[in-house]
Amino acid sequence: MSEVISVKNLTYTYGGNTPFVNDAISDITFSIESGEIIGIIGHTGSGKSTLVQHLNGLIKATSGEVLYRGKNIWENPKKIKDIRFKIGLVFQYPEYQLFEETVFKDIAYGPSNMGLSGDELNKRVFEICSLLDIPNEYIEKSPFDLSGGEKRRVAIAGVMAMQPDVLVLDEPVAGLDPKGRADVIKMINAYRNTYNATVIIISHNMEDMALLADRLLVMNNGKAVCFDKTEKVFSNADTLKSIGLNVPIVTSVLLKLKEKNPNIRADIFTVDKAVEYLLGIKAEGDKNA
Amino acid sequence: MDNIIEVKDVTFKYCNSEVEKTVIKNFNIAFKRGSFTVILGKNGSGKSTLAKLLNGLYKPDSGDVLVDGVNTKDETSEIDIKRKVGMVFQNPDNQLIASIVEEDVAFGPENLGLEPEIIRERVDTALKSVGMSKFSKSTPHHLSGGQKQRIAIAGILAMKPDCIVLDEPTAMLDPKGRAEIVKTVEKLNKEENMTVILITHFMEEAQNADRVVVMNEGSIVADGTPKDVFCDIDLLKSVNLDVPQTTELLHRLKNGGANIKTNVISIEEADEAIARALHLEEI
Repeated sequence: MSEVISVKNLTYTYGGNTPFVNDAISDITFSIESGEIIGIIGHTGSGKSTLVQHLNGLIKATSGEVLYRGKNIWENPKKIKDIRFKIGLVFQYPEYQLFEETVFKDIAYGPSNMGLSGDELNKRVFEICSLLDIPNEYIEKSPFDLSGGEKRRVAIAGVMAMQPDVLVLDEPVAGLDPKGRADVIKMINAYRNTYNATVIIISHNMEDMALLADRLLVMNNGKAVCFDKTEKVFSNADTLKSIGLNVPIVTSVLLKLKEKNPNIRADIFTVDKAVEYLLGIKAEGDKNA
Repeated sequence: MDNIIEVKDVTFKYCNSEVEKTVIKNFNIAFKRGSFTVILGKNGSGKSTLAKLLNGLYKPDSGDVLVDGVNTKDETSEIDIKRKVGMVFQNPDNQLIASIVEEDVAFGPENLGLEPEIIRERVDTALKSVGMSKFSKSTPHHLSGGQKQRIAIAGILAMKPDCIVLDEPTAMLDPKGRAEIVKTVEKLNKEENMTVILITHFMEEAQNADRVVVMNEGSIVADGTPKDVFCDIDLLKSVNLDVPQTTELLHRLKNGGANIKTNVISIEEADEAIARALHLEEI
């Protein structure tokens, strides 16, 4: 394992030299290993989006630094564009950014900006479409004729087509129905497994985070309050609730059970694991009965 | 009259130059005065179109929508109908227009041409109903998403509607913001007897509703109490909806051989059911 992204003492101040001076994020330090899926959670306004926009240099920190594979991303400011191809950022509601005449052209926009053309460019687009199950008959359609969920997938495919080493997604499933959410999560997993990419996801959906993330970064009022394995973070329900977040519903049920019986484990956060665990208890009970 | 809104045999199509798409098909539903209904359905099932038909933003291609007995096709009643049925949309930022909270809430009543003293009173009452009185002089863009959405609701309340329709009001909010909105809506329904129609993708938000309606392909596929609807796991999955994690957990425990009741949604009930089935208190 090697460090892909390392953030050191990152601070960003809005409205410096005015009476409205405010730290959007302050003194954030963490590092991410290659191939990890990192979840970022925090209430609205906690600084999550500001933080991820630093990772590919869309915002320049007031102080502190971002290292990509050991090098400061601003080491050579003229080369910042290369960093943006390596660290791909999918914004909130990316479907609002679709603009081309056809799905093909929209997905090709990113890679063509990297200098790809002709067969190489076609190959890129078809490769990502086949990986993400975007049907061939969509390719020549206008992106505006697709449903909301389909538009979202095409917009994300446009970033994935650049084959970034680190894929950052800001609320990729917000506003989607359960099927749409499952499709996007499947896309993210497929991308990561095929290209050995590192993934950073912002989400408000604790159940999805429980399924996806290896580690969680918890933000509150611009500060990183915790960065730990997903199960560790969710075992701390009181802290999460105090900063406007929550644990997955199934974890809440186990925490309630724990109040009745202190021997119950509450460090479980998916339905699969909870079923396995509770049926295990039942089997024990049946044996003793 | 018992029903505030009646939808009778409504069909609605979207047309562009090439295709015609029927999104609502021979639709019938009535909403009782003072009731709390949650409408669920995947993207494209016709939920938002239905919402817009309820206060005359869209007019049916065939069939009728009656608001308090008045047809939404009756153009002379248009303003009255929009006042009676208020709408709250997904994105709070698109719904706030003034630079001060109380001015934003006053926008509706001002447009009704009310006296200043009455406007003042309505704005204060509306902000109190959503628990935002102390922010009356704040700037909307300094508020959190949940707070902004509550201001949007207050703006509707200041029009004194009979019914409020919320189209995915929590989709862009964090868990705390979501809880704030659900609490506000439940309170309006219980304490102020407001008719509430809430469209959402979040099953947990439906657990305290009187009625849950599931839409698919422009028609109703389920209509009942939250417990009845959520316990029909096969149906929910067939229309691409989530099953609440609590219900799913209990169903799977039952399939695994536990003698457990499964018509449960809330965390408290799930906890009771599991404790009883596995004799956890006795360990």
